[in-house]
Amino acid sequence: MNTFLTAKDTKVHKGNPGFVFFLRALCVLCGKSFLVFWFSQAALAADVLHLYNWNNYISAQTMERFEAECNCKVVQDYYSDNEEMLAKLAAGASGYDILVPTGNAVDALIRQGALRPIDKTQLPNFRNLNPAYLNTAFDPGNRYSVPYAYTLTLIGYNTEKMKALGIPADTWAAIFEPRYLVKMKGRVTVLDSQRELMAAALKYLGYSANDTDEAKWRQARDLIIRAKPYWAAFNASSYIKELTIGNIWLAHGYSSDMFQAVQDAKKAGRPFTIGYSAPKEGAVLSLDSMVLHKSGPRPDLAHRFINFMLDGKNSAELTNLIGSGNPNLDAMPFIKPEIVANTAIFPDRERLAKLEMLKDLDRNKRRVLSRMWTEIKLR
Amino acid sequence: MDKGVRLLKWLTGGPPFLFLLAFFVAPSLIMIVASFRFPGEYGGLAPLIADGKANLTLETYRFFFSDFIYTQVFIKSFVMALATTLICLIMAYPVALLIARSSKKFRDLMVLLVVLPFASNFLIRVYAWMIILGPQAAFSRMINGALGLFGFEPVALLFSPFAVLVGMVYVHLPFMVLPLYTNLEKHDPVLLDAAQDLGANAWQRFWRVTWPLSLPGVYSGAALVFIPVLGMFAIPDILGGTGDILIGNLIKDQLLGTRDWPFGSTLSIMLTLVVLACAGLAMWVSRRRSYA
Repeated sequence: MNTFLTAKDTKVHKGNPGFVFFLRALCVLCGKSFLVFWFSQAALAADVLHLYNWNNYISAQTMERFEAECNCKVVQDYYSDNEEMLAKLAAGASGYDILVPTGNAVDALIRQGALRPIDKTQLPNFRNLNPAYLNTAFDPGNRYSVPYAYTLTLIGYNTEKMKALGIPADTWAAIFEPRYLVKMKGRVTVLDSQRELMAAALKYLGYSANDTDEAKWRQARDLIIRAKPYWAAFNASSYIKELTIGNIWLAHGYSSDMFQAVQDAKKAGRPFTIGYSAPKEGAVLSLDSMVLHKSGPRPDLAHRFINFMLDGKNSAELTNLIGSGNPNLDAMPFIKPEIVANTAIFPDRERLAKLEMLKDLDRNKRRVLSRMWTEIKLR
Repeated sequence: MDKGVRLLKWLTGGPPFLFLLAFFVAPSLIMIVASFRFPGEYGGLAPLIADGKANLTLETYRFFFSDFIYTQVFIKSFVMALATTLICLIMAYPVALLIARSSKKFRDLMVLLVVLPFASNFLIRVYAWMIILGPQAAFSRMINGALGLFGFEPVALLFSPFAVLVGMVYVHLPFMVLPLYTNLEKHDPVLLDAAQDLGANAWQRFWRVTWPLSLPGVYSGAALVFIPVLGMFAIPDILGGTGDILIGNLIKDQLLGTRDWPFGSTLSIMLTLVVLACAGLAMWVSRRRSYA
């Protein structure tokens, strides 16, 4: 493959083909080590910040402005879930200055000793943050993590259908109670995630999402098994599309996905609208934070980036783009008013009190939960 | 044996042998060791040696056999693989026969058409089935319209075991057609003429001449379909409903969501054992056949 490309490319090249061919041949011969050398040379020439981030989790304008301000380049790599990111780091991926993991993954990274402490003297904008999102259980005192954005796990629905069928969409009862489900059999999806679905069931039963008592887990499992015959699927990826098409009327999912579903349905000119709300029993809050990985070569640039992202205007751009929750008080004036008014993105005091962040389970609990999950799927 | 011939044998057989050693035997051994270890607190594996003692356990195997649900998942996957293989065989045989019996000019074109789906990504082709089977699609409406005429309730095609089976058959069909075609193409047409001269009708010519001769093709096609289906996880993930969990999904869950590598390894080993047993059985059957 490589050789083939080389031969083909040199034909196109007009100036000094012999030398170019020599270089390319060298490149093929030395393979990766040569490329790595070449890239590290390039890195020395210009300042480069390596960011390992979720897909579509920073606005392009924000990025451009940061690059202009710091006179550097930002190289971004992407992941689509925390486990993927942890697995890649565990397999030896390195050179990332900044990661943006969710709470329980931050916890895991701290305990692995994989993170560099944050120097808050370099972050004058740190005071912009809402204290409600600071000093979390996974990083007391925010020694390693700086809140970036959050999502809620909630219910998205087809507004017209819910009205017509008389289903209350502000409670987990809508996805667990057969008396509601019977009216929309095969039109409901729930997340294909052991922790998230169990958390929803536990919340509905009035327990904490982080309760690890097995008797309560069994109660939650039975609740799920009772509701399962009415659900269409366990779905983690295509519920946005299914909601906007109208195949699915009620979906358990993330607030930022629901935000997208609302836009998509509007753009496609559907005869119905998508709504979403955080159930009154409480829900899971996933707070993503910026952390410094030990392998990152540029903690100085990383601090500048974090401080830049803590500026209200820059932080607001992400919320306006993807409808993520924003822990930055200074960002509020820059966020579109309809988003600020949305209690599924910015919960009021009463709802905020009922939100919980998931804590990591120990290995024995993980095995017990996984066994229950298999049982749920088999029934 | 001549020295040169022996050297040639080593040169041709050696690299594939080394390849298998490096990329099948060695990983399998690593997995076997992993299955006796403890899971790490944050994924991965706990240290192999703790306090100067080997940190090994039989726990994952005890866990596997302690209740029936994991065996149930295996049985389910087995049934799915068997059904897929049979449907593929029934659908692929006429196609392969048609290609093998048509003139040289069309033959290459038809083989190309069978292979053509490989040109696009497998996941995209499976996602396409989501649209075809979705409740708004013409196909579903037609089926439900027909069911409605006879007074039946409408059915959901997407997110069902049926959708998983359709996806499995669709993706694996070429793997059945190609070995069958390679086999059928080699049959000497004179044999059929002879059978006809001896008074055999069309069915007898097929059942007593073509079918027995094609059995090696059937076996290799069946192996190429059955074994991958047994470990498939993407298709049930995308097209399956609330109950469509196969071994592949279970293993994927252990390595990612649950972060329980030892148990994932145990499940993989069980799967490898089942696959090896199936391959052994197929070999034994075909060998017995060819001696008989």
